[in-house]
Amino acid sequence: MSQIALDRAPQASAPEEGAAVELRDVTVRFTSERGVTTALERIDLSIPRGGFLTLLGPSGCGKSTLLRVVSDLVPATSGEVRVLGTSASAARARRDIGFVFQDASLLAWRTALENIELPLEVGGGGKRRGVRDPRELLALVGLSGWEKSYPHELSGGMRQRVAIARALVNDPKLLLMDEPFGALDEITRDRLNEELLRIWENTGATILFVTHSIYEAAFLGQQVLLMAARPGRIREIVPVPLPNPRRIAMRETAQFVELAAHLRRVLETC
Amino acid sequence: MSAPTLSSSNPREAFASEDSAQAQFAAAARWSAWRRRLLPLGAAILLLLLWELGVVFFHIRPFIAPAPTAVAATLYQKFGLLIANLAPTATEAIAGFLIGNSAAIMLATIFVHQRTAEEAFFPIAVMVHTIPVMAYAPILVLLLGNGMEAKVAIAALICFFPTLVNMTRGLRAVSPQQMELMRILSASPSEIFFKLRLKSSLPYLFSALKIAAATSVIGAIVGEWIGATTGIGALIIQATYNFDSALLYATIVVGSLFSAIFFGVISWLERYFLKWNAAQTG
Repeated sequence: MSQIALDRAPQASAPEEGAAVELRDVTVRFTSERGVTTALERIDLSIPRGGFLTLLGPSGCGKSTLLRVVSDLVPATSGEVRVLGTSASAARARRDIGFVFQDASLLAWRTALENIELPLEVGGGGKRRGVRDPRELLALVGLSGWEKSYPHELSGGMRQRVAIARALVNDPKLLLMDEPFGALDEITRDRLNEELLRIWENTGATILFVTHSIYEAAFLGQQVLLMAARPGRIREIVPVPLPNPRRIAMRETAQFVELAAHLRRVLETC
Repeated sequence: MSAPTLSSSNPREAFASEDSAQAQFAAAARWSAWRRRLLPLGAAILLLLLWELGVVFFHIRPFIAPAPTAVAATLYQKFGLLIANLAPTATEAIAGFLIGNSAAIMLATIFVHQRTAEEAFFPIAVMVHTIPVMAYAPILVLLLGNGMEAKVAIAALICFFPTLVNMTRGLRAVSPQQMELMRILSASPSEIFFKLRLKSSLPYLFSALKIAAATSVIGAIVGEWIGATTGIGALIIQATYNFDSALLYATIVVGSLFSAIFFGVISWLERYFLKWNAAQTG
């Protein structure tokens, strides 16, 4: 098992104890009627604070499970999970983790603004320090003026923007994103990709981003983590040599095309 | 040839034609809304007219089938009697509606939190539901006596099952990701229930309540058939035995009008509470 260290991104916040995420020899098994499945096998990974890591791999390689282990939604069968210097459950309880799901998972009976306020109303989230103003967050994701709209009145891209704002309301140090733009059309996806990078620079949070798209992985990540399936394991970690800040047009540079080709070649062996 | 200009040289003209198109569209929408209301009304008037003509033309005796005008006359003349008999039926139906649905909502809440309770009691609920109202109504009258209690119980029982099934399904109609979200937020079980499950169950609950609004009135009337001196059900029995068909029909009109109003109130509440529901606002 190779120990992987990632470069600290230039936006990293003031150094604190420990990496953003540290997994040591983590294995996750699920028991179902069909038997035992190994979703993740012996994962060693260290992600520095302020980094942007994209997780890329075929279906069933455990990308989503990895996010769920880090966010204390799925327990590790064995191994050690450290998040921001503590256990994953302590980090979750402190609201240091924001999660954005594949579908926006907004509550249909709440307006855009009320959805963003949800984390402040449950689990004692409103009493924490470092709560961000929901209206400001709505502006950050470009939805000023849509405060009172219900989810069914918003487009898919707008719903996902609200979900991102909701994940940011407790000012988390770690943002986990599970294929958040997977269901969107390409034009909306490109636009949100650029905006996400801007939000990353704005918040200084560490981001783990799961995707099926090679281009998305290469464009967003400071590093791309390639995973192989059955059992889920780390195949390779590829640094992205593109300069920051990034623009969609960079995807046409020779450097980017070469990187995407490399990622595709590795994926074919996963 | 000049280069084609996409934007009209006179934007005001474009707006004007847009305005008239808007007006045309609004007029068409108004007409189709009126049409939707007027068509069934016209059809109803036509049917009543045919009925009236049939009674006159075929010399049908009033106690076999009264003419609509005779029913209308009875409605007017015996309005006091009809309303006096509607009052107990309405009370029983509404009380049964409240009790039956509250019990169903509470049991559904228990089912959702305790699978074991569902596994144990749901088959029993199904068994009870398969018994026809006409079969268990006399049992309840024997148990609870000839007063209002038995009728309320019958109305409650008839509402109970559809609401139990719908409410249980509604409380479970929460996506796995929404549950994960609540876990990430360290939400307590009561927060998950009130802020997530209860709200997502509302569309299911209201479709059950609309069914219950109609069936609770049926339950109360059936209860009154078994043994009662007042109420819509009792009046139906009396009118039938007295061959007073006009009164029988008038009673039925009053009973179904009440059902329709009850249904309308629930539908209005549904629209009020489910403004957020895409299916509601279209």
